Amino acid sequence: MLNELNLGFIFISAFIVNNIVLIRFLGLCSFIGMSTDMKASTGMGMAVTFVTVMACAISWMVYNYLLAPFHLEYLRTTTFILTIASFVQFEEIMIRKFAPVLYRAFGIYLPLITTNCIILAAAFLGIDYKLSFLQNLVYALGISAGYCAGIILIASIRERMDSAPIPAGFKGIPIAFILTGLMSLAFLGFKGLFKL
Amino acid sequence: MKKLIDFRSFSLGLWKENPIFYIMLGLCPTLAVSATLKDALGMGIAFVFVLTGSNITVSLVRKLVPSHVRIPVFIVILASFVTLADYSLAAFSPQLHRNLGVYLPLMVVNCILLGRAEAFASKNNVINSTLDGLGMGLGFTLAIVIIAFLRELPGQGTLFGVNVLGKNYTPFLIMIMPPGAFFVIGFLIALKNSMDRRVKKKC
Amino acid sequence: MKKKEITRGIVVISAVALLSGYLLSQVFEVTKPRIDEQKKIEADRLNKEIFPEGVSFAEVDEKDLSYTAVYDADKNPIGRIYQIRPSGYGGAIAVRVGFDNDFKVKGVRILEHNETPGLGAKIKDAPFLDQFKGKSGNELYLKKYNKEGTLDAVTGATISSKAVSDGIRKLQEKLNPVVLPSSSGDEGENEENKEGL
Repeated sequence: MLNELNLGFIFISAFIVNNIVLIRFLGLCSFIGMSTDMKASTGMGMAVTFVTVMACAISWMVYNYLLAPFHLEYLRTTTFILTIASFVQFEEIMIRKFAPVLYRAFGIYLPLITTNCIILAAAFLGIDYKLSFLQNLVYALGISAGYCAGIILIASIRERMDSAPIPAGFKGIPIAFILTGLMSLAFLGFKGLFKL
Repeated sequence: MKKLIDFRSFSLGLWKENPIFYIMLGLCPTLAVSATLKDALGMGIAFVFVLTGSNITVSLVRKLVPSHVRIPVFIVILASFVTLADYSLAAFSPQLHRNLGVYLPLMVVNCILLGRAEAFASKNNVINSTLDGLGMGLGFTLAIVIIAFLRELPGQGTLFGVNVLGKNYTPFLIMIMPPGAFFVIGFLIALKNSMDRRVKKKC
Repeated sequence: MKKKEITRGIVVISAVALLSGYLLSQVFEVTKPRIDEQKKIEADRLNKEIFPEGVSFAEVDEKDLSYTAVYDADKNPIGRIYQIRPSGYGGAIAVRVGFDNDFKVKGVRILEHNETPGLGAKIKDAPFLDQFKGKSGNELYLKKYNKEGTLDAVTGATISSKAVSDGIRKLQEKLNPVVLPSSSGDEGENEENKEGL
């Protein structure tokens, strides 16, 4: 819950105190699936950041200017997911055309992002917390930063895991979850950060 | 030759192709609400409802939807069922609705739902699609309930809120917090992996 | 793609979208009264828990502080219920507190919190909350922070307990400034912070 509506607090809160992956359990498919490779992880992190911030901005506008004034809040889920899917599609075309270097950097991750829970969650939470447009933007940024930090950290660990003696049953995904659990434990330490 | 009623669709979803462990989809909502059995069960039931409902609908319209627009159409169908579940729960069980929070509408991006619509319901008749939905949905519920059991019992000493380990039990609190969820699912998948490997060795 | 295919695609999507929108609006119409009713039942139940003698309740919107006015069977005002959001350990804590006409606490309920399960979360349990009944002024301090304090904190959850007690006391001071000289007690000397892991 956000009591402090100061932008800095919003960012830090979304970034580490309530980290979207390690505390809120979102974005796990790509988190676990991609993080064996550092390069892939960085690419995914960048793509997620870009899409989340923009998609949240658009969704906020759609909700506050299109849905709420006409009392169509119940169309929130449908509209958001369609907006996000369309946006990702549109954006992929735009980037491919105008910034091919960026497009190559994002690689295949861009289309994969549509089913990433994080974007939809960030959009929903921005509305639930009744944030202003700017606060929503910062919040989305914080969430993506949290995802990036998480995936890069775990990728750096997993890259070295191959040489570690892991029991056969744990190789691959299970040990990744245990790792995530340990990281989550560490991030829980941030919980009392704003106890004013 | 596709049978009219193929019960294999049902049983596959339940164990062999159990979504959580085998295909590892739909993780996001499960861990978040797996801290208590009550919430896990609630989420599972909502999931079965949405999956079965959308499977049936997709199967009904499969011949009418042109291939190049099928994904948006499936998404709209899914989103409708999710919204239906969301508001029904809010009306009839507000406590559960509050507990599930934002994870209930987030079901709409659950890979399993879109995956089954695309891979199965759009290619099979209504009866089999229903069975597939029920099977996968129940498999999902089973998985999430197991995780919840392994978290609630040590983490709070209760089952469905009922204290079963006595008043002197000091709860192993980490289990109901995020790290606990990750550890549980990690161990469970490792367990399933080793079981599968033993079966393979025997063949 | 041929033009025919494109139009067909658009028609199908629009049809599905419109149908879906229509159906959802019906769902909304049907469930809305029920949802509102549930909210009302919940609110009434909560108000009754905090103020058992209350028979009817009415929302009052005053400029800086809205509250729920409590009336007895003869429509006499017998108290007020306020909602505050002090900052606890894990964020804001939504606290609902009722005062009688003498500004003594009638009852307290915790609505929402993000405190540590098993530790800070215990602030919503009866043993902690029941302490507040009948108290006012400097009694609303935790024992460790003020000699006149009468409240015990939840073991290992000083911050959560302090947030709630300070929040309630400050509200009470604001409503009834006559009662006390605002003293700020002993803070920080033995501040135990056993929360979290």
